[in-house]
Amino acid sequence: MLSKKDFKKVTDWLWEIPKSFRSDMRVPARAYVSEKMLEESFKDRSLEQLVNVATLPGIVNYSMAMPDMHEGYGFSIGGVAAMDAKEGVISPGGVGYDINCGMRLLKSDYQSKDIQPHLDKLATEIQKEVPSGLGRGRQIKLDIATLDKILEGGAKRLVEQGYGEKEDIENCEANGRLEQADPSVVSSHAKNRGRDQVGTLGSGNHFLEIQKVESIFDEKVAEAFGLFQNQVVIMIHTGSRGFGHQIATDYIRVMMGVMQKYGIQLPDRELAACPFNSPEGQRYFAAMSCGANYAWANRQMIAHSVRKAWKNILGKNASPLSVLYDVAHNLAKIEKYKFGGKEVEVVVHRKGATRAFPPGHPEIPERYREVGQPVLIPGSMGTASYILVGTEESKEAWYTTCHGAGRTMSRKAAMRAVSGQEVIKKLGEKGILIKCWSMRGIAEEAPIAYKNIDEVVEVVHQAGLAKKVVRLVPLAVIKGE
Amino acid sequence: MEKFEILEHVTDLKIKFFGKDKKELFLNAMIGMYEGARYQSQDGKIEREIKVSSQDLASLLVDFLSELLYLTEINQEVYQQIQFKKFNDPSTNSRSKERGSPLAAGQAKLEGILIGKKLQRMGILIKGVTYHNLEIQQKKEGVWEATVLFDI
Repeated sequence: MLSKKDFKKVTDWLWEIPKSFRSDMRVPARAYVSEKMLEESFKDRSLEQLVNVATLPGIVNYSMAMPDMHEGYGFSIGGVAAMDAKEGVISPGGVGYDINCGMRLLKSDYQSKDIQPHLDKLATEIQKEVPSGLGRGRQIKLDIATLDKILEGGAKRLVEQGYGEKEDIENCEANGRLEQADPSVVSSHAKNRGRDQVGTLGSGNHFLEIQKVESIFDEKVAEAFGLFQNQVVIMIHTGSRGFGHQIATDYIRVMMGVMQKYGIQLPDRELAACPFNSPEGQRYFAAMSCGANYAWANRQMIAHSVRKAWKNILGKNASPLSVLYDVAHNLAKIEKYKFGGKEVEVVVHRKGATRAFPPGHPEIPERYREVGQPVLIPGSMGTASYILVGTEESKEAWYTTCHGAGRTMSRKAAMRAVSGQEVIKKLGEKGILIKCWSMRGIAEEAPIAYKNIDEVVEVVHQAGLAKKVVRLVPLAVIKGE
Repeated sequence: MEKFEILEHVTDLKIKFFGKDKKELFLNAMIGMYEGARYQSQDGKIEREIKVSSQDLASLLVDFLSELLYLTEINQEVYQQIQFKKFNDPSTNSRSKERGSPLAAGQAKLEGILIGKKLQRMGILIKGVTYHNLEIQQKKEGVWEATVLFDI
């Protein structure tokens, strides 16, 4: 069992478990947490999972966990690991079942006082336009050939078909498309599940929020991002739906079957992995890329539906919504880094962790290159969210930051602690509207079930993983069931 | 004997299933998964064929539950019963824990007819059936038990 004495304090915000802690560790394990958060982390098995990840073949430098870490399966949520692209493995468990679950933020030119009179109608219209239902998709089923084009083209494919603007793609991680996508390695099961889910929100912690900019921490960067005080923005949180879930299911099964062949032994079956440069590793990466492209297309289509709702309520001449940024928080990516003049190519696994590239990085849009990549961090339902900016200091963490608040309470415990009605009442007292089809869904996602987002983001800021730009507060929440 | 028990878990859905034999364990896992995630059905009767083969008994359980989720989503159905036509578990030592040590692929198999109804609604969407700390074991008194973590 791990305890605090097993940790070495690197800084006030970074704690390390040395490689000597367990004989199967290949690198040390590091957690970006405050002392208080570290002490609370012993309540679940996330730190043990952090150590397990340090055993993966080809892992470079450290197994890492972000401050919103909590117990997952295989990797903890908030887990980050980079594997050498030549010698290392790829692990579907380091990506998760919801491939490219992520965030998109739409900016408006309006202040909250302009939108407030229309808020209820707008939230209702968005709920109507964006299908959220559990397991239910849209009424239209795409044929497989059309779906394959989306898997290859991602968000770009939808923009080409008129579901958005060129700038939407420019303001999207990887321009909304991973080129390694190959639909021929995706099962018919996955494709069948994906046919009617493009443009659907899903359930659980997925949501849409109408928010306003409540505080600005960095005027210069906020200006570069086109953000201003009291500005109304819309946040979208969803992923690749049943399509991505099926790819993960299919390939964890594949990996499980070939680990013995590659002589890989791991402490948790859910870490199942195989060499990145093996036929199975390459096939998973090509399939995962299809999942990623599907998720970007999904968020693109949802943005299209939100824009439609926006115009339906505010009128055809209403100033349009533009994309600030779209970023994944469940993905494996090939990235290049220089350490001591030597370039390394790694496969960075981020599971419940957000990429946060620094100023000057060639992979971020030119309009943000001088200040750094926008980083979108949602809070739990009804609480604050943040926009941060990537920093050079975060290089040791493979330019990564947290992805949200992180759960601390089970859904059952949340249900015992609070009812859906009470949550609605409390949020209503703060002037926040909630649109959700299920009372139980509201109780399960109640703010008390999560870590305090302000504390999590403060650690990110203090540790230099990313810097705070603005704090957002919700005006209306639209949830799946 | 109870069919299943929902255990505490911070993020995901963790359920322990019970059965007097392996077939009943699988049936109760199906029932427990749907009830644990609050799947509700409408009237009517549906029959659907299911075939799954896996490298060992634990994988067979995961693959069986994953296939059910696929069939549920594609057909908008929920199943209450299964008539097994084939249930082949090659493991020789039935009391051993079915962890690690994969057997040759395709050795554990099941085939059957699912009996169910049209889906009305769900409470929780299950993203995946995980292998995390998966255990299938037969207790001294003969009862089979399995604990499965579902990503939700």
